[in-house]
Amino acid sequence: MFSRQLTVSAMALTTLLMGSITQIQAATDDTVTVYSSRKEHLIQPLFEQFTKDTGIEVNYLTGKGGDLIERLKLEGENTPADMFMTVDAGDLWYAGTQDIFQDVITNTIVGNIPTYLRDPDGLWTGLSVRARTLVYSTERVNSSELSTYADLADSKWKGKLCLRTSKKIYTKSLVASIIHNEGEDKAEKIVSGWVSNLAATPNAKDSHVMNAILAGQCDVGLVNTYYFGRLIEKTPDAPLKLFWANQDTTGVHVNVSGAGVTKHASNSDGAVQLLEWLSSAKAQAIYGALNKEYPANQNIASDEVVSSWGSFKKDNMNLALVGILQADAVALMQRVGYK
Amino acid sequence: MPIFVVASAWLLPGGELWTHFAQTLLSDLVLSTTILLIGVGLGVSVLGTILAYLVVMVEFPGRRWLEWALFLPFAIPAYVLAFVYLGVFDYSGYVQVWMREILGLPGFDIRAGYWAITLTFILVFYPYVYMMARASFKRQKIHMIEAGKMLGASPIRVFWKISVPLARPAIAAGLLVTLMETLADFGVVSLFNYSTFTTAIYSAWGDFRSIEVAAQLASLLVLVAFFLIYFERRARGKAKYYSTDISHIRPYVASGWIGWLLFLFVFSVFMLSFAMPILQIIIWSIEVFAKEWSGKYIGFISSTAILTLSAAALTVTVATILALPSSCKNNSRVLQMLIHFSTLGYALPGSVMAVGLMYGVQNISLINEYFGGSSLNHLLFGSIALLLFAYVSRFMAIAYNSANASAEQIKPVYEQSARLLGASRFRLVWKVYLPMMTPGIMAGALLVAVDVMKELPATYLLRPFGWDTLAIRVYELSAEGLFERAAVPALMMVVFGAVLMLAFNKLDSSRL
Repeated sequence: MFSRQLTVSAMALTTLLMGSITQIQAATDDTVTVYSSRKEHLIQPLFEQFTKDTGIEVNYLTGKGGDLIERLKLEGENTPADMFMTVDAGDLWYAGTQDIFQDVITNTIVGNIPTYLRDPDGLWTGLSVRARTLVYSTERVNSSELSTYADLADSKWKGKLCLRTSKKIYTKSLVASIIHNEGEDKAEKIVSGWVSNLAATPNAKDSHVMNAILAGQCDVGLVNTYYFGRLIEKTPDAPLKLFWANQDTTGVHVNVSGAGVTKHASNSDGAVQLLEWLSSAKAQAIYGALNKEYPANQNIASDEVVSSWGSFKKDNMNLALVGILQADAVALMQRVGYK
Repeated sequence: MPIFVVASAWLLPGGELWTHFAQTLLSDLVLSTTILLIGVGLGVSVLGTILAYLVVMVEFPGRRWLEWALFLPFAIPAYVLAFVYLGVFDYSGYVQVWMREILGLPGFDIRAGYWAITLTFILVFYPYVYMMARASFKRQKIHMIEAGKMLGASPIRVFWKISVPLARPAIAAGLLVTLMETLADFGVVSLFNYSTFTTAIYSAWGDFRSIEVAAQLASLLVLVAFFLIYFERRARGKAKYYSTDISHIRPYVASGWIGWLLFLFVFSVFMLSFAMPILQIIIWSIEVFAKEWSGKYIGFISSTAILTLSAAALTVTVATILALPSSCKNNSRVLQMLIHFSTLGYALPGSVMAVGLMYGVQNISLINEYFGGSSLNHLLFGSIALLLFAYVSRFMAIAYNSANASAEQIKPVYEQSARLLGASRFRLVWKVYLPMMTPGIMAGALLVAVDVMKELPATYLLRPFGWDTLAIRVYELSAEGLFERAAVPALMMVVFGAVLMLAFNKLDSSRL
């Protein structure tokens, strides 16, 4: 009985190995292969539409940003990936420093995407914009009490603030932008003020931050706007509103999801075509509708729901700087005990 | 192999970052990791042992079905249980809302402090101790307990003085696996935002982009695991129990209100660790099923099934070879050491082990290039072969422990008589050892299968194109905070896992 089982599993394994090799071979020629840390359910509809429009198939593999960069580095010139796509400016910047991208920013992309959302060296471009701003309970807070990120460090918010964990890359990028705008010393005071105002251990998710505000555990928090969009879609009457931070000063911190064409792409042309298409009005509208993000393409309007939250001034520091300052931001947060 | 790659990182520099970690994180992390390990260790030992003792030695209402039902929580991935608990018990969950509104009690943050996360780990991992202790109690000679009873010892005294000492190796083995899992966990600790040693590894790598320091920290984790194994061996001692006699007589009968009290206790463990979370997952799934279900799920389910079953088959094959009783193994300390090394992968966080593997492949490629060959990286990364290798390295401990336990039951007299009859070594293995070990091997296979099904980080990094599993779907949705939608694939995993656990139970009862 045991030997039969062994034979069966050996056969199954052989079939599997053959299968995986054929799969690698199948992904050649016209197909564009993408490594993405943007999740499957958010990219698949875009790729489907791209294939419909152009006839080019897209093969993709999702993973964590850092993991995929490691994999790209080790695969070197034999990588099957033509494009790397990720969800944070810091990750894009870091990927840029690891020599895995080529300079492919074309005129079409320059025409579609503003400078501050692109790499200065043309290695990657932002494709969707996410704003990280204040969210508050309309039952317990008057919007006139709110102003800036720095104001959340004021002792009037003691025991009233909820934040997402410092381990999340969006928090790191926000703090990196504060270091850039206010200088390191002031940034450290602000972040340590936040920590002493916390009503609860920092949450693992933006959605938990909003749940905590709704439940009355705290009154104000910081979230990416699309998480707010998802919540409002489900419960339109929730007593929760966004507030645009730093409107009299530097503007709301924005981050991007974006992509670049890999240095050793076997199908550069296809990958460039995909990148251009993703920056086009059509694709940008899908981004907005799918995930309630802001378009990176300055020529098109936001999704209807998204525009209902009002327009606001964005912080247009170049996002590559966010990447450069991220390690400082983490060190700072670890120093002041922001978990 | 991944372990050697990880350990070799000490040859590389990492100075500044170490100073920063030493100033900010390390002392806290060592403390919080230790507290967690002690809490979880005590919790699973006490809970697992008591439950096992009750279902084996005492007759009480509902015992029959609770005995197998207590296995089921093993089918729930730890991170799924964690997000369900947060949804139900945190400040904004039903329980606290109800307590505040109806009872007027103040709300509290369950993620603060140690107790909620410790409890979560205990409820996820107690089945390890439970299943090992139960098997051991079943083998205890009934006359020893009867003798204890006749000498007038109370049931509690019999438990402490006879049953527990005899079951100590089994309890220690279950405890060991639990502690290694707790050390390697990243999902539960990140949902609770609790920092352990693993947090520092991820910080070194993810925040400071220092794969060297991450690997150095990870090798410390392996060192801890090595000490744990050493202590487990010590706890086991030199004692060998060759008993295969199994008794189905229960020495104690709890009737009346004591019986119902016991039922209530065991039942509430089952409720809390399985029934309640499943109910919540089902409620969430129903709400969003229509939105979440699509043809893609056929792919998720089939890749999960194929990976799970082939990894299980491969792992137990290797484990069986390692566990076969042999005189050269008993005499060679080096060989025994190597076998222990091969089971250490369990304590490595999956992501670290996966990256370690990639660097291992890279080293092989470099050697190959030196001899004029070409790089193998692109062939091996994203191949089923490497992924299966990762599973084998990671889950060897489970398969080996199970196979080895059944190998240790084989009395030396079998070998002696087989040799006397002139049987070859091969014939001895094939006709005597393997048939005797088969139940243990199969039980190991099922446990590995459940673990592979739940595994996320290595699968996520190393899988081939298009091989998304249910665990990956759960992760991708829950990472975006879409817990309701994540409940759909989670439910499928639990059903699949529960089927495997029921098969395990059937196998287990046939040999016990």
